Amino acid sequence: MTEDKRSPFLIESSDQLPRVTVLKRFPLPRKLGVGKESRIGKGKRWPLPATAAARVKTFEIYRYDPDSGDNPVIDIFEIDLDDCGPMVLDALIWIKNKVDPTLTFRRSCREGVCGSCAMNIDGTNWLACTRYIAETDGSATIYPLSNLRIIKDLVPDLTHMFAQYSLIEPWLHSKAPAPERERLQSPAERAELDGYYECILCFCCTSGCPSHWWNGDRFLGPAALLHAYRWLIDSRDEATGERLDDLEDPFRLYRCHTILNCTRTCPKGLNPGKAIAEIKKMIVERTG
Amino acid sequence: MTAIALIPLTVWFLASVITLTGRDHAGVVTWLRTPSATICMVLLLVALFYHMALGLQVVIEDYVHSGARFPVLIAIRLGCFALAVTGIVVTLRISLGG
Amino acid sequence: MKTIASRRRPLSPNIQIYRPQLTSVLSIVNRVTGVVLSAFAVFLVIWLSAAATGPQAFATVQSVIGSWIGQFLMIGGVFSFFMHLCGGIRHLFWDAGYGFHLRTIYASGWAVVIASFLLTGATWALSTYMAG
Ligand code: HEM
Ligand code: SF4
Ligand code: SF4
Ligand code: FES
Repeated sequence: MTEDKRSPFLIESSDQLPRVTVLKRFPLPRKLGVGKESRIGKGKRWPLPATAAARVKTFEIYRYDPDSGDNPVIDIFEIDLDDCGPMVLDALIWIKNKVDPTLTFRRSCREGVCGSCAMNIDGTNWLACTRYIAETDGSATIYPLSNLRIIKDLVPDLTHMFAQYSLIEPWLHSKAPAPERERLQSPAERAELDGYYECILCFCCTSGCPSHWWNGDRFLGPAALLHAYRWLIDSRDEATGERLDDLEDPFRLYRCHTILNCTRTCPKGLNPGKAIAEIKKMIVERTG
Repeated sequence: MTAIALIPLTVWFLASVITLTGRDHAGVVTWLRTPSATICMVLLLVALFYHMALGLQVVIEDYVHSGARFPVLIAIRLGCFALAVTGIVVTLRISLGG
Repeated sequence: MKTIASRRRPLSPNIQIYRPQLTSVLSIVNRVTGVVLSAFAVFLVIWLSAAATGPQAFATVQSVIGSWIGQFLMIGGVFSFFMHLCGGIRHLFWDAGYGFHLRTIYASGWAVVIASFLLTGATWALSTYMAG
């Protein structure tokens, strides 16, 4: 990792970490509006396995075991940096292999293309496999993606978000009879989709969107809306009008208040906030 | 969202409120009597409370999820309407009355 | 299986742990100032009514404004106004589809904060000067 020369005030891309920490979290009571079953207790400390390590790092990790019937807790793990790979995901795997095999998390590609390992690292959502351990605080805090029902440890239930994704019908709609060969698109038309088709559905954005926290039951959230936009602007799609009809609703689309936490957090550097603004504009242009 | 159209209005009229900050005394009354100031004030009140009603409605829709939501929304609309009307009546009384 | 069925899954923490960022903080500030300004709008009507009622009522309201706490609230109100105004203008650019690069988002965000402080200071200086 090279030293980051960019200004600490101007964040230029979403992979840039804040270098000035005023507050690590909002100064609110930890129990504010938190249901009884979600209160987080203190967990245990897992010291390093016997070997004497030179460089030790601690991780505070959210644990929840559905079989125990207990509330979630924060466990503290010590890891040996010299024995472990450079990424946060490596640290989790190291813990699972060497300390506590019950630690549960999703991962697959370990190179930022599958979206499985999204979680809240030091207060922001990111992929564990593309965040360096060196980029985390002295004692790194690892929580599951925010505001989701937890199945176990760092594994959230994404059913609702995928349901919202399917609601925007993420496939090509066409009324014309199927052509003999592929449906063609010019390079320029294809280029329109750049920055929108790359989404890996990690849901870092939706789970980091305050509007989705308070109204996630009806607000579709940035990930689904980014995909809605992706299909709206696809030159081959013929359902633009119907798609806009479906979105034109005070909650589905307009609960987005342009907070832009989504754009700030997207680990693929995409811009759901802009996509949403473009949809709003399309609706205005259609009527006006 | 619909507030967008109203915002240029608010900007202009609130600028006129700032000029007024400097003025003291009941000389304000003289100021309000000038036709331009009267018209500005009335338009300001309309735009302001319309924007405020919409703005507060969004806030309530975001945070109030209980059955209280509907009555509160109605209360906000009525309240804003009443305030706007009061403000306009009072302004006109100053500008037209002796 | 019984434990799973009988127990509601916990909700992972959201605002309790999510890091405050310029994006979310300014959004909340815009909302808070909007609500504060609503209170001031009510006060504006009171002020107008007082002016209409007569010099005496007007003097009472003016003395409230002139008091130590009144001045403090007024400065707060003016600051809220500029914060909301600048934030509102920033929102309008977004609504028009501009300014969505992260760099622009942060630059305009800080610009809003700095401009609000400067404008509040200028207003304060101007009104003190006008008041003599
Ligand atoms: C001085 C009187 C004003 C009052 C009482 C007021 C009140 C409010 C309120 C209560 C909200 C809702 C906050 C929210 O939804 O987060 C709001 C939002 C908004 N205000 Fe104002 N406002 C005032 C002036 C202005 C001005 C002068 C502008 C022009 C730039 C403006 C632009 C906006 C915009 C764009 C929003 C929407 C923000 C969003 O979409 O989340 N406001 N206002
Ligand atoms: S811009 Fe919209 S979708 Fe993105 S975080 Fe903000 S409210 Fe959520
Ligand atoms: S837009 Fe970005 S943050 Fe959101 S789901 Fe897609 S890849 Fe993840
Ligand atoms: S494991 Fe695939 S994105 Fe991290």
